[in-house]
Amino acid sequence: METKVLAGALAIRLLAACSPLQDVLQDDQQLASPLTSYARLREGVYLFKHGIDPYSGGVFRQSPILLSLFSTILPLSPALLSPLLWTLCDGIGAWSLSRIWRLRCKSSVTYGSREGLIVISYLLNPYLFLPSLALSTSTFDNTLFLLALHSACLGNLEISLLLLALLTHLSPTSVLLLPPILFLNLAGPSSRLSKPIQFVGYRRAVPLALHYVTYLSSLALISTLVSGGWGWIGRTWGAVLTLPELTPNPGLWWYFFTEMFDYFRPFFLMAFSMHLIIYVAPISIKFQHDPLFATFLLQGIFAIFKSYPTLSDPGLFLSMLSIFPEIYPYLKTPIVTTLLHLHASLLLPLFHRLWLSQGTGNANFFYASTLVFGLANGFAVLDAMWAGLRIAFGAAKEGWEIVQT
Amino acid sequence: MERGIYRALPVIRIFLFILGYSWMLMLPSPQLGRGIYIDENALQPGQVNTYWSWDDVHSADVYLGHLEQLRDQNASSVEKSSFLRSVFSELGIPAATQAYSFKTGTMTLDGINTYGVLSAPRTSGTEAIVIAASWISLTAGPNLRGIATVLSLAAYLKRYSLWAKDIIFIVGDGYMDGMQAWLGAYHGLDQSNLDAEPIKLHSGVIWTALAIDYPGHSFSHLGIFYEGLNGRLPNQDLMNSFHIISTHTGGVPVVVYDHVEEQMDSIISRWLPQLLSRQAYIKEYARRARNVIRHVRYQALGRASGVHGLFHRFRIDAITVFAVPATGPHGFHALGRVIESTLRTMNNLLERLHASFFFYVLTGPGTFLKFGQYLPSAVIVSVAMMFGGLRVWVDAGWVKQQWSSEKVNHGPAGKAPKWKTRRRNVIIPLVVMLATHVVGGITFFVVTNSWFLTRTDKTTYLPIIPLSLIVFSILSALLTSDQPTNSQHDEPSPAPLSSLLKAFNLCFASTVISITSVLNFSLAAFLVILLGIPLSISSPTIGLTSKMAKAMSYFILLFPIWWTLLATPMSQSIWDWQVLGVWFAPFVCIVYLPLVLQATVVCMLDP
Repeated sequence: METKVLAGALAIRLLAACSPLQDVLQDDQQLASPLTSYARLREGVYLFKHGIDPYSGGVFRQSPILLSLFSTILPLSPALLSPLLWTLCDGIGAWSLSRIWRLRCKSSVTYGSREGLIVISYLLNPYLFLPSLALSTSTFDNTLFLLALHSACLGNLEISLLLLALLTHLSPTSVLLLPPILFLNLAGPSSRLSKPIQFVGYRRAVPLALHYVTYLSSLALISTLVSGGWGWIGRTWGAVLTLPELTPNPGLWWYFFTEMFDYFRPFFLMAFSMHLIIYVAPISIKFQHDPLFATFLLQGIFAIFKSYPTLSDPGLFLSMLSIFPEIYPYLKTPIVTTLLHLHASLLLPLFHRLWLSQGTGNANFFYASTLVFGLANGFAVLDAMWAGLRIAFGAAKEGWEIVQT
Repeated sequence: MERGIYRALPVIRIFLFILGYSWMLMLPSPQLGRGIYIDENALQPGQVNTYWSWDDVHSADVYLGHLEQLRDQNASSVEKSSFLRSVFSELGIPAATQAYSFKTGTMTLDGINTYGVLSAPRTSGTEAIVIAASWISLTAGPNLRGIATVLSLAAYLKRYSLWAKDIIFIVGDGYMDGMQAWLGAYHGLDQSNLDAEPIKLHSGVIWTALAIDYPGHSFSHLGIFYEGLNGRLPNQDLMNSFHIISTHTGGVPVVVYDHVEEQMDSIISRWLPQLLSRQAYIKEYARRARNVIRHVRYQALGRASGVHGLFHRFRIDAITVFAVPATGPHGFHALGRVIESTLRTMNNLLERLHASFFFYVLTGPGTFLKFGQYLPSAVIVSVAMMFGGLRVWVDAGWVKQQWSSEKVNHGPAGKAPKWKTRRRNVIIPLVVMLATHVVGGITFFVVTNSWFLTRTDKTTYLPIIPLSLIVFSILSALLTSDQPTNSQHDEPSPAPLSSLLKAFNLCFASTVISITSVLNFSLAAFLVILLGIPLSISSPTIGLTSKMAKAMSYFILLFPIWWTLLATPMSQSIWDWQVLGVWFAPFVCIVYLPLVLQATVVCMLDP
């Protein structure tokens, strides 16, 4: 059943990749940020193949690992091979998501038709579909994330940490996912939202973080050897921290920094990055009984507040919602979240077009639509968080109302 | 507090509906709206001395004589374009022609455009101004005097070296088709049903354009036509500078469209009692209402009110100057002076017009409504519809659980019935909505298909009414039988499909209205008026005949579709879509029709 659905959805994806839609979407700024754009990847690979350091200009911001991959083993051809590769990656991601669901279910009788639904929700989610059509490398980020989660659910510590280190090289914000993934390795994926227990592995987890640091530094060494210098660090990881490019994207950072005086820039960059860091400890501690859920919530939060998001980051959060069906009865405002997402997903391209191609609007229109989008994602994260905590209380007693969890 | 809001919600909704609709009715009132003003300081309208003289009027008369000869001989496009080209060549202005041919499903439109480029004498021509006239006026007569004005302007403007931008003179064949072909070729946009020669004489980037439309002998007023394709409007500064120049430099009063005030006053005095028709407030309201209604008619259908509308796609601000035919005092002399001064103003620009408004409603020649003064009227009604949808959604989640009979007999007062939550299956209503959109897509494909268009005419659509009666009766019969009766189990049966479908229909319609109101307010207003109340009062019914009656009454909502899309063999909206790329026809088939169909399905379901 699941393989049939997977094959069908992949076929739909491949059909869409052959349509002329791909050419229109490739340059869209909402689907690919400067860190994930396909055109820049091709430029970097071309420069690399011709012996020019791609990190000396300001265009190429991908990791040297992608550089080495696409200049040696995998050719980049937008017509056939790249769409195939991207669809394959998405297929792997969908497969790992459904396997995570299997590992989360306590017995084999409960998973069944849900697997098909999970695969469809990942492959046909427009927030994931369209960036994949646009050949944005955020697809690789999502696939690596799901594979890392899958290995962590299986308990393969080394593989999950290696995959997480690889993911950190592509998307540096993922370093903040280390604590919940470590706890996931130690505690296992099964759903304990309704029966929370204390986590007793903190002491064990700390030395295991060194494994991750080792993987990360060895990958950094390999990257340095590949790119022939240390310049890549400033261009890739540094871009996330210092925001050199203010290309409009569905995130919240760019507008702030377009109107900021240079004197205040370092302070606000620090504040915005610190803002991401402060969520890790509280959520990991509060959801210590179910680290998979903690990872899911943190991913949703980072999707809203990271520096160069694309549509695929909140898309991953929404698709992962499908592996937590136990919280659905406790969601307070699912229809409001749905309507906000509907409005935001229609307003984002409309105002982008009104500003940049039609010229009758201005940047404030588009920024307002990114605010609505952020609100929609915020509603989704908060609702999921509430439901995840509320489920521990069970059904409300007659005459009683649960106000705070 | 939540319970108070929940109970008051029907009242709030009625209040919001009344507020929205009465706001719409108040849009033409004299209290709303403000005077026009020039926002771009570079324009400086009306500050130049004009040198257009009676000699230039004489040359315009001579050209007019030639053009009338061409008209009387029923000259072909080739003859007309060769004459125009020779005129430009005699003046020393480089000129060229462009042949084009539109092949839509049912007809072929071809013609030859003629254009001349006057290069900026002392600078490099990186920008350009366009003066255009089409052979056919917007009143469907020949636009001979408009073309004569363009030709004599070419002769006049060549003598001056103060132009900072290139001036392109275009005489488009036909009405909109010629200009569409020229603009597409100039900007390198290919259209699949257009076969046009490439542009041989290129100039700079076009920033502003004026189209001249002068069908009659003389004129009393100059009318401004400003709507573009798909409801787009030019920057208001262009119209405002034209208004100031015409009033002060030309001495010609300006009106909106061809709505002359005296005509309006006579209409009012015929229809209203004396007491009311003499009130200044009523007169002003009626004048503004006439302007607003005409504007809404153009904008909702996405039609351009003149040839200028085709320029807006390329971020070119353009208006059509229409000389309202009259036995009145003005002629070539006044028009020439006004156009010369407007061209001098347009020449002053250092960057594209961006300062003034792009979203406005021109209620009178000197008054307009800003965005925030008219937008809330549609959004308030869409919010009311959204509240309705959310209310139905919330109600669908709860069901009253009756106590079993023995307990009722025991207690003296009887216990209050318990409310239990029930599941809401969202997949089925979403599938139904998708199916209605697929039906809309098929309908659109059918009505734009050339096979279908060539074989049908007005009378072919009459069988739709009995056909839909049959279809609705079959559907109603099918939908009646499949709801199971509610039994007294512990697990209440899931929420009925009709409630969920109605909730999704209302929420989706509200989203569509809000989004459309930013793009094209008149289309959103049209949706609000037609769909606001009918979608909110759709409800499931029992009984086959009442289902049929309700479904047919919703069918009435679809009449505007039939009228605009199918009324003529090659309906104007479908022609607009195929030739000009106007989105009204696809929107009506793929968005409006499904919304009405969803409400009809809600009526045909069991409660």
